[in-house]
Amino acid sequence: MESSTRRLDPVTFEVLKNSFVNLVDQMSEQMLRTCYSFVIYARDFSNCLCDANGDTVMQGSQDIAVHVGTLHYSAKAVLEAFKGDLHPGDVIAVNDPYLGGTHFCDVRIIRPVFEGDRLVALIQTNGHWADVGGTVPGSFDITAKEFYGEGLRIPPVKIWDKGVYRADVANLLVANMRLADERLGDLRAQAEATRIGEEYLRRLIAKYGVDTVVDAMAECQDYVERLTRARIRELPTGTWETEDYLDIDPVKGEGLVPVHVKLTIDGDDLVYDLTGSAPAVGCFLNAAYGSAFSAIVAGSKTFFPEIPLNSGFYRVVKAHLPEGSVVNAPWPVAVTGFCSGAYEKIMNATFEMWSKVMPERALACSFNLEYLLVGGWDRRPGYDRPFMWYDWMVGGWGGRNGKDGSSATAPVFGVGLMIQPLEGQERLTPVITTHHEILTDSAGPGKHRGGCGVRKGGILTKNDRSVMSYSCDRERSVTFGIEGGLPGYPHGATLQPGTPEERFLGAIFSGVPVKEADVFDRPSSGGGGFGDPLDRDPAEVLEDVIDGYVSIERAKKDYGVVVEEVDAEMLDYRLDEKATVTARKHIRENRAAWLKEDPEAIAAKYRSGDLDLLDTIRQYGVIVDQRDGQLLPNTTRQFRDMLDRRTVAHWN
Amino acid sequence: MGDYRVAVDVGGTFTDMIVHNERTGEARVAKTPSVPANPAVAIMNALQKAGLTPSDMSFFAHGSTVGTNALITRKLPRTAVVATTGFRDIHEIRRGTKPDLWDAYADVAPPYVKRRDRFEVPERIDYQGNVLAPLDEAEARRVAKLMARRGYEAVAVTFINSYMNGDHETRMKEIIQEEMPGVFVCTSFEILPEIFEHERFSTTIINAALAPVVSKYLASLTDQLRGGGYAGDVLVLHSGGGVMTAEAISKNAARIAVSGPAAGAMAGAFFAQQCGFPNAISFDMGGTSADISLMFNGEVRVSNEWSVEYGYPIMFPSIEIVTIGAGGGSVAWIDDGGSLRNGPQSQGADPGPAAYRRGGTEATNTDANLTLGRLSPGGLLGGAMPLDKEAAEQAVATKVGGPLGYDAVKAADAVIQVANANMADAVRLISIRRGYDPRDFCLVSFGGAGSVHAADLARELDIPAVVVPPYPGITSALGCLLVDVRHDLFRTYLASADGASVDAVEAEFQKLEAEARERLKAEGMTGDRVQLRRQMDMRYVGQWRSLTVPVSTPLGANLQGSLDRFHAEHQREYSFSNPAGAVEIYGLRVVGIGLVEKPEFPKRSAAGILNDAIKETRQVYFGESGGFHTTVIYDRDKMPAGATFQGPAIIDQMDTTTVVPPDWRGEVDEHGNIVLRIVR
Repeated sequence: MESSTRRLDPVTFEVLKNSFVNLVDQMSEQMLRTCYSFVIYARDFSNCLCDANGDTVMQGSQDIAVHVGTLHYSAKAVLEAFKGDLHPGDVIAVNDPYLGGTHFCDVRIIRPVFEGDRLVALIQTNGHWADVGGTVPGSFDITAKEFYGEGLRIPPVKIWDKGVYRADVANLLVANMRLADERLGDLRAQAEATRIGEEYLRRLIAKYGVDTVVDAMAECQDYVERLTRARIRELPTGTWETEDYLDIDPVKGEGLVPVHVKLTIDGDDLVYDLTGSAPAVGCFLNAAYGSAFSAIVAGSKTFFPEIPLNSGFYRVVKAHLPEGSVVNAPWPVAVTGFCSGAYEKIMNATFEMWSKVMPERALACSFNLEYLLVGGWDRRPGYDRPFMWYDWMVGGWGGRNGKDGSSATAPVFGVGLMIQPLEGQERLTPVITTHHEILTDSAGPGKHRGGCGVRKGGILTKNDRSVMSYSCDRERSVTFGIEGGLPGYPHGATLQPGTPEERFLGAIFSGVPVKEADVFDRPSSGGGGFGDPLDRDPAEVLEDVIDGYVSIERAKKDYGVVVEEVDAEMLDYRLDEKATVTARKHIRENRAAWLKEDPEAIAAKYRSGDLDLLDTIRQYGVIVDQRDGQLLPNTTRQFRDMLDRRTVAHWN
Repeated sequence: MGDYRVAVDVGGTFTDMIVHNERTGEARVAKTPSVPANPAVAIMNALQKAGLTPSDMSFFAHGSTVGTNALITRKLPRTAVVATTGFRDIHEIRRGTKPDLWDAYADVAPPYVKRRDRFEVPERIDYQGNVLAPLDEAEARRVAKLMARRGYEAVAVTFINSYMNGDHETRMKEIIQEEMPGVFVCTSFEILPEIFEHERFSTTIINAALAPVVSKYLASLTDQLRGGGYAGDVLVLHSGGGVMTAEAISKNAARIAVSGPAAGAMAGAFFAQQCGFPNAISFDMGGTSADISLMFNGEVRVSNEWSVEYGYPIMFPSIEIVTIGAGGGSVAWIDDGGSLRNGPQSQGADPGPAAYRRGGTEATNTDANLTLGRLSPGGLLGGAMPLDKEAAEQAVATKVGGPLGYDAVKAADAVIQVANANMADAVRLISIRRGYDPRDFCLVSFGGAGSVHAADLARELDIPAVVVPPYPGITSALGCLLVDVRHDLFRTYLASADGASVDAVEAEFQKLEAEARERLKAEGMTGDRVQLRRQMDMRYVGQWRSLTVPVSTPLGANLQGSLDRFHAEHQREYSFSNPAGAVEIYGLRVVGIGLVEKPEFPKRSAAGILNDAIKETRQVYFGESGGFHTTVIYDRDKMPAGATFQGPAIIDQMDTTTVVPPDWRGEVDEHGNIVLRIVR
C-alpha cells in the first residue's frame, strides 16, 4: 500500500522534513506568545502544514493529542467549500465538528499558499477559544442535545479575501461571542502564526524550488507510512477487543454506556471497528466522526512515540465508526463535551488493547479530563463585570508494566495542557482556592499502582448571578485497572463539603446556582492499578504511606500491607511483616467472594457507614449514587463484569 | 597582591584556566582534569600548573557546574518546604505537563523535595496583599521545632500570594531562624516576588536546596585562596552573564546553575565586538552538543525562565541559549523509514568516533569530516590524539554509505549536510524566529568542532562573516574574565499603561534601584563603576505573555516613550503590533551592573610571512564547490597579524580546526582573531 516512489535524495529529504518540523513549531511559539485566550495559552492549540490535497504533512511536536487526526479534515473541508475560489491572500476560519472538526471552541484558521497560480499548501492553526457564544459562558452547555445553543458554528468563511480583511465577517463571528475584543485578538494571533508559516515555506521554495518542496511534502507522508507499516509488520497479527464506558445516558437512566473497540492487526494495517458502541447519548458527551478518529489515532500513536505524525500515519489506520452512535454522532447532535465523554473512553480502550499487543508499554486507565466552570458577575470592590473561573485539573495516569503511573499529570486528551496558576485565577475572578493538593488513596492499587490524583476546591467571594457547571465523567465508570489492578477514585464535585448542607453534584451538571461564601471541592482520580496489588512490594507501600500517597488503612485493605505508626512526626513507620502475610492471605482467600456479595447489602453498609466509598468500589465492585447512597443496580452489574474481565481474571 | 587576573571554568571533565598578567599583557592557559568530589582541588591544581600561587592573583572569577551537577545528580542536602495549608503539593503538581507528549513511559523528574518533607502552616494572603487569615504563630513554631528535630539543612518558605505581601513569609523565616539557628532559609518573596505560585516556589525551593552545597563549596574555595594569600573577591559567574561575589551567590545559589554556557555566550559577544560586529550569533560546538546564543546591538539576549530539569523552572534572567544534540561525536544513522538522521545520540569522548580507535564503530560527524579531508589525520592537541582515517571511512561507508548506495565520500558529505541543516534550524530559532535577520550578524565559532562547521553554517544562513577567536577551546574560562558584576531585580507591578501614574512607577523603579545599589555596594561597587538599567514587562491587555523592553531613566513626563518601545519590540519579535491597543504593565526590572576592569591582551605580531605557516597541502572535499580541491593547511600559531588568505584552506591549531571553503576569504586581525568573509 506504499504510495509513491522516492524522488528526493536523502539529504534534501531529511533537511526539508526537519524544516517542516521547525516551521510548525515556530508557529506554535508565535501562538503561545501572542494569544488572548487562556485556554490557548495553556497549550490547547495545534498547528500543521497540509499539502494541496489538505493532507497533513507535519504537525507541531508539542500539540495536544485531541487535535491529532482532525486537522486534515478541516483542510479538506476548506478545499471543498472554496473549490475554484481559493486565492493568494485568503485566510479562512472554520470550526465545524460536522466537517471533521472537534468542537466549536476549536477555531481553525487556514491560509492557502500559492506559487503563481499553483496551490502548494495550506497552513493551519487550531486554537481553543475561551468562548464562542451559546447559552453558557465558555460554550460548554452540558445539557445540550442539539448543537444550536452550544455556540457559533462556523462553516468555512473567508476572513481575509485576497488579502483584504473582511471586518464585517470577523465582526459577525465575534459579535456572537463573549469578550469579542479578545476573540479578535485570538483571530489575529492565529492568522499571524499562519503567515509566519507561509514565510517559512516561501523561504524553502525559494531555496529548493517548488517541485522539490511539494515532493518533500508527499514523501514525508510516505516516510511516516513506511515507518509505521514496518513497525506493524513486526507485531503479532490478531484481533483484540474491549469495552469502556461513559457513566450514563441521561435520557435512558442508570446504566453504563458502552464504547466498544475492536482492533485487528492484519499485515501492516491497523483496523478498528467500534461496532457495538451505544447509540448517541442525550447530552453533549458524544464524539463526531473526526474526534473519534482522533482518539483512535492518538491512542495508537501512544505506542509509537518516536514516529512523527502526519497523514501517512492516518493511511495505516482504518476506522469503522457506526453512524448514529456515541462515537459517530451526526449533525445536529451535540458533541462539545466529546473530550470528557467518548474521546477518552476510546483512547483508554485503545491503550488497553495495545497493552496486550505490546506488554512492555502497557498502560492502565488514566483519570478523566474535567472542566469546572463557575461563571457570573464579579462584585468585588472595584469590579463590576462578568467573570469566568474555568478550571481543569491534573490527575493520575494508569499503572505501567514495571513502574507506577505518573502522578498529577495532564489528561491523556492533551499531555501538553498546562493547569492554570491559582494566583492568576484569584486576580481575575471572585474565587479563592482553598487547597490544591495530592489526594491520598486516589491511585488505583496494583503491583504498580496508578499515579496519584489531586483535589482542588474554593470559596466564592463577592459575586452575583453565578452558576457552576461541570464537564467530566467516570463518577461511576471509575478509572479502571488492568492485569489484576484495582480502580482509582470516582470523579464528582461537591458543594459545601463537610457541612450539613453538603451536596454531591456528580461528574456532569450544568447551571447550578452558587453565591458568595459557597464552598466547593472536587477530586481527580488517580490512575488505575497495573497487576495484583497483593504482589506489590510491601517496602513500596511503606514509602507511599510515609509520603501520604496511601493511608495506613487502605494500605491494609487494598494491599494487605500492615504498617505501624511509631512516630509520625519523625516519619517513623514500620512494616509488620507477620501481620502483612496474614492480611494478604485473608484478602486472597476472600476477595473473589466479596465481589459476589449482595449489592443491596453492600449499599446498605455504605449508608450505615460500615463501609466507605472506596471499600464499595474496590473490594465489592458496587457503585452507589453518592447523592443518597442508593445502589445503582445496572451500573453495578456492568462494573462487576468489567472487574471480572480486567481484574479478577488476572488474580492467581 | 599579584599581577595576575585568573579565570576558571570548572566543567564536568576538565577544569580550564586562563591567566593574564595585567602588567605584561601575557596570557596563558592551563587545563587539568576536574575533581567532581571537590572542585576546588582542580582549581588549585590548575593554578599550580599555570605556575602561580593565590598570592600572585589580583582578580579571580570562575564559572562552575557545582550547582548544575548537584541538581542533576540530586546530591542535595535534606531540604524542607513550608507552605500555606492546602498547598504543600504545588511543587509536585507543577503545571502538569510532560516534555514528551507521546511516550507514556517517559516521566518528568520527581520533585526536588519529597512530600514527607513538605510542611503546612495556616495563613492566607489575598491577591491584593490583604491578610485573609493571619499566620498561626503557634503552628509555625511547632513546625519549626519539628523541622529542627528532623535535622533539615535548608528550608524554603512558600506562601500563596506572597509576591503581594511578604510579611507572613518573613515572619515564618524569623521563627525558623530562632528554632534552627545556622540553617539556610529563604522565602519566595525575597527570592522572586513574582506572580504564579509554581514558578516562584520552584525557584525558591531550588535556591534553598542549592544554597548549602554552593556555600560550602565557595567557603572552602575562598579559604584555600585566602590561605594562599589572595586578598580580592572570589567572583562567580551566574546564568545572567554577570558575576557576583561568593557571599552574594551563597544567598542566590540557584543563579549559578548553567553558568558555563553563559560564559561562552559572553566571550562570543566580546570577540564579535572586538572585530567590530555589534550583532553576533555565538556557536559553541563540542563533542556532544552545540550551544547557540545571540547578541544584538551589544546586548546578549536574556530569557526569564529556564530549567535544569523539565518542569522545575528557575525564573532568574538567564542568557538565552538554544542547545541541540549536534557535536563532533554525534552519530549519523539510517532510521526504519530509510531516512538519514544525525544525532542526538553521541559517542562522546568514549568510545568516541570510529577514528579514535577506542572501540567506536558508529559514523560520527568527526568521522565524516576526516573522510572529507577537513580534519588532519594528525589529530587535535598537537598530535596527542591521532585520528585513523581508514577507520573513519569504513564507519561512514558501512553505516551510511551502504544503506544509501553511496561511497564513503558522498556519504560523508551527506552526513555533514544533514548536521549543518539541523544546526541551521537551531540558529533560526533564536534569530529569524525572533525577528533578527542573520544577514546583519556575524557567527562567532568556538568549541572543538565549531570552526569546522562554521563557514558552511554561515553560508546556509546568509551570515556574511565568521569570527574564530584565538582560543576557541577555553572560551568559557575566558568569558569569566570579560564580564561585569550583575544583579537582576524584579517586582510584579500590575497596572494599565493608560491609568498608571508615572510618578508611582518612577518611585517603584527608584526603590529597585536603591536595592541594586545596596547589593553592588556590598560587593565594593560604587560611583562610576555602577550602572543601572531599567526594563518594563508589558503586554497587550488580554495577552498572557509579556515582553521585556528597555525603558529610559527617568521615565519622563509620561509613559509614551515606553509604550512606543513596546509596540516596536512587539513588531520585531512577533511581526505585528497594535499601537491602538490597550497595554498593561506587568512588572518592573532593574539590572544593576558593577563594572569590572577588562584585560588587555597583547596584540599579535605582524612579523613573519604567511607562507611560513603552511604545513602541507592535501585534498579536501567541498561539495558545494564541486568536489575535492587541493587545499593549503596552515599552522595558526605561525600566522602573522594582517595576513589574508583565500579558501580553500584549513587552519590547524592545538584545540580546533578551522575549515575555509573555496568561496571564503580570511584575515588574521591584530588580536589574533580569524575573520572569514564569504566572497559573492
